[in-house]
This record gives sequence, C-alpha cells and structure tokens, in this order.
Amino acid sequence: MNRGEISMSNEGEGRRTPIIFTAIILTMLVMSLIALFLAVGTYLSHKTIDVINVILSVSAISLSIYLLIQMRRKRTLFQNSDNLRVITVIKCASCDYNSSREFEKGDYILREVGSCPKCSGTLLVYSIFRESQEGKKEKF
Amino acid sequence: MSPEAFVANIQQGFQDSANWIFQAIWVLAFVIIWIYGQRIQTTLMLKEVEGSLYRIKAMRDKGRQIAISTIREIGKPSEDPTPRVDRLLEHIDIEPVTLDPTGIIRRLEHIINVRDFRLKDEVRRMAPHADEVQLNNLTNVLETALALNQIYKIVRHYYLMGKKTLSFYIILQIQMLLPLIMRESEAFVNALKAFTLGQPIGDGAGALVAARLMYSKEKREISQDTVVSEVEIEGRKAYVIKAKGPGGNVGKPGEAIRQILEEKEGKVALIIIVDAAQKLEGERSGEVVEGVGVAIGGPGVDKYKVEEVATKYNVPLSAILIKEGIEDVISTMRKEIIDGVEEAIERIKRLIRENTREGDTVIIAGIGNTIGISQ
Repeated sequence: MNRGEISMSNEGEGRRTPIIFTAIILTMLVMSLIALFLAVGTYLSHKTIDVINVILSVSAISLSIYLLIQMRRKRTLFQNSDNLRVITVIKCASCDYNSSREFEKGDYILREVGSCPKCSGTLLVYSIFRESQEGKKEKF
Repeated sequence: MSPEAFVANIQQGFQDSANWIFQAIWVLAFVIIWIYGQRIQTTLMLKEVEGSLYRIKAMRDKGRQIAISTIREIGKPSEDPTPRVDRLLEHIDIEPVTLDPTGIIRRLEHIINVRDFRLKDEVRRMAPHADEVQLNNLTNVLETALALNQIYKIVRHYYLMGKKTLSFYIILQIQMLLPLIMRESEAFVNALKAFTLGQPIGDGAGALVAARLMYSKEKREISQDTVVSEVEIEGRKAYVIKAKGPGGNVGKPGEAIRQILEEKEGKVALIIIVDAAQKLEGERSGEVVEGVGVAIGGPGVDKYKVEEVATKYNVPLSAILIKEGIEDVISTMRKEIIDGVEEAIERIKRLIRENTREGDTVIIAGIGNTIGISQ
C-alpha cells in the first residue's frame, strides 16, 4: 500500500441546516430591511438621520448575509494531518552523505535502504517527520 | 389633499405602526428571555454538544472503517473481520479493587498483561497473515478506534441524559469539557494514519533517543518486547533500554530496569529516563527539560517498579523530558521533536560526565511507543 492509499478524507457532507435557524435569519434580514426603510423615510420627511437605527439595521443586514453565506459553505467535520507531507531523511552510516524524500510505506528509522553512492557505506533511514504547520506566533 | 401630503400621511401611518411592532417585539423578547432564559441557554448548549457529538461520531466511524480495511488488507482474513472488530470496540477493562490497596500494582499489572495478550490474540486471529510488526501496528490501530468509540459513547451519554432531564448542570459539565475532548479526539484520528502506515509518533521521542545510542551494538531481549544494549558513553558502561521496534509497542521498561539493577546488585551510578512529556500551552514543542524521578507515564506499574528498586539500592534517578502537545503525542513525529531528540542525547552525555566517574555503570531508558523506530 502506498502513501495515502487509505483515504482519510474528512470532508463530510455537512449537517443540514435547521429550517428554524434559516427562518430566524431571514426574519432578521426582513426586519432590518424594514428598519432601514423607516430610517430613510425619517430622513426624507424630517431631514434628520436616525443614526442608531441606520447603524443597527446595516449591522443586522450584514450579519444575516454573513450567516447565510456561512450556512452554504461546506463544513469540515474534523481537522487532520492527512495533507501534511511526511519526509524520510536518509544518511550514510560512514560518511556525511544525506538525502531526503517523501515517506514510503515500509520506511522506519534505522532501516537499511541500500549503499551510499559516495563511499558505498550503509544508507540508513535517519529520521521520519511530518512538516509542521506554521502557527501564529504567541505573545507570551 | 395634495398627492404629496397623501403619501406623507401614509408614510407617517406606516412608520407609527412599525414603531409599535418593534416596541411589541422588544417587550415580548424581554419577557421570553426573563422567563425562559435558562431554558434557551440549555437548548443552545445542547445544540453545541450535538454538533460536537456529530463530529465525534464521524471520527469514530472513520476509526472503525480504517481498522477494518487495514485488517483486510494486511491480514488477508478468510472471513469478514467486521463482527470481531465491532466486538473489540466495545471491550472494557475493569480496574482492580482499591478498597484494599495492598498489592494493587501487582494486580493491575496482571490485568494489563491479560488485556494485552487478549487484544493481540484477537488481532492474530483476525489477521493471520500479518507479521509481528504488523500485528503490533494493527493492535495500535484497534486501540485508537476503541478510544474514539469510548469518547463517543461518553459524550453521547451526557448529551442524551441532558436532553432527557433538561438539567442545566449535566449539560454544562460536558459543554465545558468539549474543547479538550475534541482536541483529544482529533489527535486520535491523526494517530490512525501514523499507526496504519507505521510512522514514528511523538510519544516515541524517548525510544528514538535510545535507538540512536544503541545503533549497531549487540542487543538482547531482557523483558517482554524490551531490548537492552551495552554501550560505552564518555568512558562509562551504559545499559540502554527501549521497546522492541519497529512495531508499535511500549515494552516493559520498568521490569528491564529492575532486572539490570538486580543483576548488578545495585552497583549502578545513575539511572537516566528519557520520555516525551505533555507541554503546557506556551511552551515550545521539542523543548528539552531535566528533572529527577521516574519519567514513565501510563498506569503506573513500570514507574512503581523503578521507584521501588532504585530506592532499595539508593540509586539516583534523573529524567530528561521532551515536551510536546497532546496533538503531537500520537500523531506522526514533528521536526521539532526530532531536534529535541538530538538535544536530549547531548544532555544525557553531560549528565553522565557531571554525575558519574569513568568506569561507572549507568542505565539509560528510552520510554515510549516505538512504532516506526528500530534499534
């Protein structure tokens, strides 16, 4: 079996979004649109801007649109390290020759994998490791 | 009435009605939150637990599916292994009675030995064509699937109980622990890949230190699945111990140390134990720290044996720990941990130089799961 033959894909179909949740978001969207319409009406009739109403309704519209977009996005069920590369480092037991390649099934540390092209010494799997994901640097 | 005034009248009327509607909605929302606040919070918490439970179930199913497909592929069984795997996933270990603590370690060791034997025997039956290394790796895959199944069942228990009783405090307990449970579950899922492919894992950092030290030297099996090698380090005679690789197992390092100390009648200048240790948030992965004591995790049997025999012969105990996060312990080893291994070897040499004299005997034990690491 070669690398990745056993599929560990974690992309699920995503849970179905509950109808009630969608209804709440749509109600919020409609109500915020009405509130915005009223604010515009107030401005046209009294020439004064109802700042709070405008801010609240614009935020509610943005939030509803954001939630609707999020709902449509395909969810990942869980994080795993499937797509991280695993590297095998090979070193010569006698000289300073070393090379690296992708991990192959059957590799293990201190396994003999042939002879050195430089000195004909024994080539060994020196280390096997996965590439690290660069995380955000902590302040502390 | 002019058309403009008519439109303005309608607009004013509509505005007044809308204002009333908004007022009514506010009052209604206030009353609902006042009366049903905790109920709403409980429902929201239940929804959160339900979402996590759904993810844990997916992980559990993935674990089961990988265990079955790997057994089919490696073991080439004549019959379908699914019923056996399902039976194993429900396996339970019953801890010894603690009411009378006398001899509890011996009883615990017996239960652990029986469990290991039974599990390996089941795997052997399911995968008759697997060699010893593959058997050990398959056992690790099954143990991981079993752990995921246990986590799923516990979270489901609290979820259903919370749903049934609508008790805020039952749901709160599981909801508070969910971030940690999810992190651990994801670590188990990542472990499946490492165990299936036989890649070294973070927990094997100690075993890798020992493997580097004992490479090309003669080895003998001193206790079950545990090897020892005599190595000369800085002019001292060192007994280097590790679990027998490259299959996934942890061996019996405690028993190995006990046997060497008994053989040498306590004439050992220092015992150094190297192991991976869980880092605190903010600490660097692969950071190496030193201490005193027995750095052996697990149920405590090996730790007890080393403490007992070291105390009997008054031998000093040093510990070297390689720090790593919970997500690194059982997933494929990271580069930072490999760097930590190199540093740990230098620390061992320094400890030996500073704490022993030339010609002395020392014991160095590399603890951890040796999957993907030979000797």
